[in-house]
Amino acid sequence: MRAALIGAGQIARLHLNCLKTLPGVQIAAVCDLSPAVAESVAERYGIPAWFTDHLAMLREVKPDVVHVTTPPTSHFRLAMDALQAGAHVLVEKPATATLAELEQLVRYAGERQLSITEDYNYVFNHATREIARWVDTGRLGAVVHVEVMMVLNLFGPGGFADPNAGHAALRLAGGALADFLPHLTSLAHRFIGAHRRAHAIWTKRRASILPYDELHAVVEGERGTATLGFSSTAQPDALWLRVFGECAQASTNLWETRLTLERLRDGPKPLQPLLNGLEEGRAVRRAAIGTLMRKFKPGPGAYDGMWHLLGATYDALARSTPLPVPVEQVLAVNRMTEAIKPVEAAP
Amino acid sequence: MKALVTGANGFLGQSVVAALLAQGHSVRAFVRPTTDVQKIGWPDSVEIVRGDLRSARELASAFAGVDVLVHLAAAVTGGDEAQFASTVTGTERLLTAMAETACRRIVLASSFSVYDWSVIRGTLDERSPLATGAALYRRDGYAIAKAWQERITRRFAAQHGWDLTVLRPGYIWGRDHGYLGGLGQRVGRLHIVVGPFSHLPLTHVDNCADLFARAASDPRAVGQTINVVDGPGERIWGYLGDHLKGTGERGTRVPVPYFVAFNIVRLAFATILKRNEKLPGLLIPCRFEARMKPLRFTNHRAQELLGWHPPYSYAECLRRTYGSQLTEHG
Repeated sequence: MRAALIGAGQIARLHLNCLKTLPGVQIAAVCDLSPAVAESVAERYGIPAWFTDHLAMLREVKPDVVHVTTPPTSHFRLAMDALQAGAHVLVEKPATATLAELEQLVRYAGERQLSITEDYNYVFNHATREIARWVDTGRLGAVVHVEVMMVLNLFGPGGFADPNAGHAALRLAGGALADFLPHLTSLAHRFIGAHRRAHAIWTKRRASILPYDELHAVVEGERGTATLGFSSTAQPDALWLRVFGECAQASTNLWETRLTLERLRDGPKPLQPLLNGLEEGRAVRRAAIGTLMRKFKPGPGAYDGMWHLLGATYDALARSTPLPVPVEQVLAVNRMTEAIKPVEAAP
Repeated sequence: MKALVTGANGFLGQSVVAALLAQGHSVRAFVRPTTDVQKIGWPDSVEIVRGDLRSARELASAFAGVDVLVHLAAAVTGGDEAQFASTVTGTERLLTAMAETACRRIVLASSFSVYDWSVIRGTLDERSPLATGAALYRRDGYAIAKAWQERITRRFAAQHGWDLTVLRPGYIWGRDHGYLGGLGQRVGRLHIVVGPFSHLPLTHVDNCADLFARAASDPRAVGQTINVVDGPGERIWGYLGDHLKGTGERGTRVPVPYFVAFNIVRLAFATILKRNEKLPGLLIPCRFEARMKPLRFTNHRAQELLGWHPPYSYAECLRRTYGSQLTEHG
């Protein structure tokens, strides 16, 4: 399959690192508004063609799959152009600035019998898949509640809060936090299904150009409840996923390799905290070493979910089987995201 | 002559503005929107233009009445992509705007990092090979961005017939910038000095700025590429000793021969580290070489072309950097 990318910035490099390892995938072209960015990325990854005009690229290269890896507010127009050129589309999160735009893309893709999917990389991280397996095999029991908490300092130089160069994501409702919200909702959706209702509190703790720097939401889903959080001011950086089941609780920090399980055990009740504690201690020690060793190894690092997802997506497209993130899931996640987005003006 | 100076509030920029003023030129300083220029204390004659090369919508007006662009702005921190976006895309935007104006003279601050240190033997000078292709992309984000910044600036100059001078400084040092990447690795109070008797390609910020100001106004610099070092360079051991003395920091220098350290890195990289390019720079052989390789350095071209001699001696530079703490030098 011939792949092409529109947008050759930071996230595109992560896609390219994976694509160059996938069998049967040829990276045919890359496009960026900056000629130097497009040309340097083409040179670096051995891509035969680069463009600054995405329509010229679509016309001349005729890719089978287009990755839209530009700032989010441009996704809709670029994804639509790619679909109109007859390509399947893999769009980075957030798929579009509004739900209405996404619905329009989905309708059009359906009419043209093309696929459109969104990158939910953390849903496919090793630890998330392992927890999902524990759910599927009954080890966790039925899911009662999910907690997803992202802690990320956005105030560093050159970051989202840099007052000199307004980050493109600041144009989204909710500002920079909206750029991360699909990570939270896609993880929650994986375990509790489509949302029925949601309540969110968007707040601001620090003076900056960000409209909000904290988000906390409660969601009721088809199979359980979830609390979703984003903090720009808590530290250290982490992406916590905790799944509470009727028999056990699983906990992982998706930016490390830490994955622990607290479970009901046979035997005397007073010994349960001890046995769980010893098991957790072993897992945390292993993860501490594993996280360090991962930095010394080539490969996806914390983006193993993206590698898994892209591999499975191309495999499904080649075989014409259902995608790992089907369009119904994209719509359901985006509806949950929409329900959490702020409606009132920023404080 | 009126110069537009980008990165004017940066470490080199502040000295370049001072040198241009001292040589009788007028200066328009391009600074970011939130830069506090009061703190810098420029005279009123310095015009201020505010903008960010990464995002400003309109840059051409900054060139009104400008005879020469002295382009110093570049990112020195951040991830690879952020540095590229800031340094290279920023330069693209700036030069695209310049093409709409009457200004046709440019002095670019490039860097020693653009050279391919892995293949250079003996003396590094302006004829030494540049890092290109795969060798470039194994280097760090700063080196990649500076190489591309120079590449696109040369293309713009060729396309529009501009008079370009490329200046490539070595390690620029000065007040609060005395600790340099080439000094080795600090581990707590220990300073692992790799190749203690190697020379450092040093240029004190005030010497470096003097050459930038001269090159901006001297027609003999047009079309030239010139390395900026004050001379053959101090030896690492002595320079680090002066730095520790000057700052009053306590530390112990531990010498390690260059070839021992480099071969350990090279062997580890090829075996247990599996050629992983996500590793810290010191564990990647070509980046290790770009920081530490013992080469010889010269400012012959600056001398021959412009008759330039650094105005301040090493002893005077120490005094400017550390005050009077190093009395035996000053």
